[in-house]
This record gives sequence, C-alpha cells and structure tokens, in this order.
Amino acid sequence: MDQPVTAAIVEDHPVVTEGVASWIRSDPGQRIRLVHTARDLAGLRAAPGPPPGVVILDLELSGELVTRQIPGLVSDGYRVVAFSGHSEPAIVMETLDSGAHAYVSKEEGRDHLVEAVLAAAADRPYVTRSQAKAMLADQRPARPALSQQEQQALLLWFQGMSKASVGRRMSISENTVRQYINRARAKYAATGRTAPSKDALLARAIEDGVIKAGEIMSYKSFARTADPPLGAPGR
Amino acid sequence: MSVAQPTAVMSGRYERAFTIAVVFLVAGWHLAGAGGQLLHHRQAFASFAFQGAMWLVMALAVTAGSVLVLRGVPGWRPAWAVAVIALAASTAAAAASPASQMLAVNWAWGSAGWIGVLVLLRRRFTELAWFLAAEATAILAVLVRDGLHRTDLAGFLALLAWSTGAQVAVAAGVRALRIAAGQAAAAAQSEHAARERAATAEIVQAARHARWLALQESAVPLVAELAEGTADPGDEQVRIRCAVQAARLRRLLAEGDEVSGSLVHELHASADMAERRGVAVEIETAGPLPQVPGPARRIITDAAIAILTAARSRVRITLAAVAAGIAVSFVADTGAVVLLPAIGDGVSIDQQQDGAMLWAEARWTSP
Repeated sequence: MDQPVTAAIVEDHPVVTEGVASWIRSDPGQRIRLVHTARDLAGLRAAPGPPPGVVILDLELSGELVTRQIPGLVSDGYRVVAFSGHSEPAIVMETLDSGAHAYVSKEEGRDHLVEAVLAAAADRPYVTRSQAKAMLADQRPARPALSQQEQQALLLWFQGMSKASVGRRMSISENTVRQYINRARAKYAATGRTAPSKDALLARAIEDGVIKAGEIMSYKSFARTADPPLGAPGR
Repeated sequence: MSVAQPTAVMSGRYERAFTIAVVFLVAGWHLAGAGGQLLHHRQAFASFAFQGAMWLVMALAVTAGSVLVLRGVPGWRPAWAVAVIALAASTAAAAASPASQMLAVNWAWGSAGWIGVLVLLRRRFTELAWFLAAEATAILAVLVRDGLHRTDLAGFLALLAWSTGAQVAVAAGVRALRIAAGQAAAAAQSEHAARERAATAEIVQAARHARWLALQESAVPLVAELAEGTADPGDEQVRIRCAVQAARLRRLLAEGDEVSGSLVHELHASADMAERRGVAVEIETAGPLPQVPGPARRIITDAAIAILTAARSRVRITLAAVAAGIAVSFVADTGAVVLLPAIGDGVSIDQQQDGAMLWAEARWTSP
C-alpha cells in the first residue's frame, strides 16, 4: 500500500468518533488516514480540501435515521461505509440497496471497520456478519438467487466461524470462502436501486474474477437502467 | 413454515367447499337439465339409443371429473382427457341430431361446457377459454355441415352467449371467492398471530424486568467502581466483567419484537446462567424461525447448556431458518471438544474444533 486511504467520520457522539479514530490509529499498517470528522452531513459537505476516499457514516444522527440521504451522498461520488448500532436486517438491506459499500454494526466495529473501509476504498465487497445475517433473512421476492455454496458460506460466516474454519468445514480454501461470500454480495449490488457505487463494486468484482458478467445479466432486468460512471473522489 | 399453515388450511377448506358446490351444479345440470331435455325431445331423434349412450358417456365424464377435482387440482393429462371425451360425446350427439332442429333439441352443448368448467376450474383460465372455444367451434362445424341458415346462426350466437356466459361467470365467480377467502383466512390468521404476540410480549416484558433488576445488582456497581477508580480497566478480570455486562445489556436491548418462540427464550435463560459465571453470550437470529416441537427443543437446549458450561469467556449463539427447519449454532472458546447430548427427534448435531474454538450446529428438520 503506497498511499494511505483517506476517510471521514460522520457521527454525532464525540466518544464514538474518538473510538473509531483509535481503531484507525491502532491499525499496524497505518493504512487509513482520518482527514475529517463531522457531526452531520452538512458538516461533511462543507469540509475543505479534496473529498475523502471513504465516509464512515453513523446511520442515526441526532436521533434520526439517515438511510434516505445515502443515495444523494453516493451519487455525489462518496463511498459510504455505514456504521450503526442497529442490526435489523431491514435497515441493513435498505442501507446496502441505497448504495453503501458495507454495513458494520457497532458491536463488530473493532474487528471489521478498518477492513471494511479499506475494501470500500478499492470498490471491493466486504461482508460483515450483520450483512450476512440480513442476506440470510432476506425474504423479498426480488432477492437475488444465491447458490447453495454461497448460502452455506454466508450461514457459517454469520454463525461466527473464522473464514479459515468455514473453509475447513466446507472442504474448500479460505480464498474460495471469500469468493463465495463476495459473489453473494456482488449479486446484491446488481439488484434494486441504481447507484454508481454498486456499478463500481460490480465492475471491480468482474475484474477480480469474483463474478462473471453473464452471472449478473439475469438480475439486470429489474435492477438497472443507466450506467453512470462513478465520479471517484480520491482515486 | 408453521406460521403460514393455518392460512393455507383455511383457504383450503373454502376451496373444497367451492369444489363440492361446482360438482353438485354440474351433476345437477347433467341429470335434470340435459337429461330432461333429452327425454323431452326423444321423439325427434333418429336414434334415441345413440343419444342415450352419449348422455351416459357424459355422465361417466361428470363422475370421473368429480373424483379428479375432489382429490385436488388435476394434472393437465387427466383433466383434458375428461374434457376431450365430453367434447367428443357432445359433438357426436349434435351431429346425430336432425339437421333442421339441431339447436332446438341439443341437450349436450351445455353439459359439455359444464364438464369443462368442472375439470379446468382450478387450472389456468386460458385452458377453460380454449376448451369453450373448441366446443363452440365444433357445434358451429356441425351447423355448417348441415347447411347454415341465417336463423341458425342467430340461434347459435344466442345459445353461445347464454351457456358460455354462464360458465365463464361461474368460473370467474369461484376465482373471486377464492381470493376473498384467502384474504379472510389471512385476516383471521393475523388476528391469531397478534394475540399470540401479545402473550409472548407479556412474558418477554416480565423476563426483561427481571433482568433489569439483576442489572441493578451487577452492572450498576461495576460502573460505580469504574467511576470511583476502585476497578482498574487495565485489569483482565475487570475487562471480563465489563464484557459480560456489555453482552448482557446488548441482549436486553436487542430482545424485542423480532424474538419470538420458546426456543429463543429457553436459550436466553441458559445464557443467563452462563453470564453469572462470567461468560459473555450473544444471541442472534436470522429470518422468521419455525416453531420447534418440545422433544427436539430439549435436545437443542441440552447442547446449549453443555457448551455454555464448557465456554471460558465467550459464546455466540445463532438461530437461522434453513430449508424445512432451523440451524442453531454455537461458537465458543471451550478449549476442547465438548461431549454433546444424544441426537434424535429430527435433530442432528455437527461439530468442529479449530484450536480453542468450538463450532457446533444443531439442525432440526421438520418431518
């Protein structure tokens, strides 16, 4: 890693901001540089200098859910990693559908936030256990069809196994486990509302060989109409 | 999924009632309507025996069709076999009628249509439409063969409108009633579910209050010690106490409407015991969970108790809906393999040890 990823935190509780900042500081590789903190979205937009590579967004600001603001942020070119005390599948799904790169619940922040931010900066998927739970609980008729292997990998990951243990359980390599989980995530990026961040995730997933273009086509029918390029900040 | 069953059962009951009503309607029409007309015009036919034979063939078709629909939704082969036999008999009866008065003495057209309604009712609407169209075409073909007059055509159209109209109306009516019955059943079901939820909510409320009281004894003194500085966050023991209380608080907050069913409550109760020992327990559920019968539940909670007892500091319990059942899993730092209780009653248990971490999954599949 040559240049550290730049990140901003939007969070109304200073003590949480401080906690997130300390996780970022304690990353041994110092791979993330915190460039800005704001208490609300107006504060984020008013920030001077180039936009951050990733925005760590608390979904509840001053007692109100801001999931509806995510599409606006995303179409302005921000990459969003949601960080929230909520872990209800409906909220997780809405957040991802709105174009957030990843969802990290506050309980899993210590273990997953830094990795989720780094993955988001590269437009790569990162699936937390709360995201896996939401995908497993998804009952909507328009949900993407996951293969049995993808389902099983998601289930074991949700249950709390390490990816290495999931691999042992399924008799596959840890890398293949990651591949299954990321492919499931990519399939979700191909459904629902259109967002430049979802297109970017998909494009990268195809580039990385996580998913084939042909596997996406079948979900495209009700999903996407336009293909605007991601106005990528910090790239 | 057990939640959906009562709705299906109730609308199933309505559907059966409709089917029986249609069976009576069709059988009644063939006996009284078609049979009456056949007897009334018996002098007009060249061969009354042939007409009688065709009537019997169609009576058999009514019987076969009734048996088919009373057994469930018939497959396309048997349904269409009965329909085609009725169509053939009706066309043969029409073709053997005196040319000039075919429409006046025809008794079979209506019956054939009703048999079509009977066997195709629960299938796609287009199938019935095709059948009725084929029947009308067959009658028209007989008329053309006999030399079509303008008066015949007018009579044909009047009969077509009358008989087909009534048949389509019945089919459409049954469809509408079926939708209404489905809605009524769903409403009754949601009322039942609401009552069940209210009862569960009361139990949850009581359990939550008890836990809140327990927190007053455990978490509050810990916070006080931290504030006074008598407890040192650098101390491993203090950190473990904090982790346990945090897990407990999280569970207390998470325990809401999404938690239903006694298995989850039993697991919560087992977790409470482990927490008193200093083990941090988190419980997560994914998706609407099926109800698990008592004996299977006992095996799962026995496994939970064995693992919670063996855990050193933390356990993650998850419940997820899987095909036709539920997967209850445990990830715990037990340090060694745990002897789990016997399996049976539809429950199978798998486990895997990775270093100090145990993963175990109890899977219940509904029989």
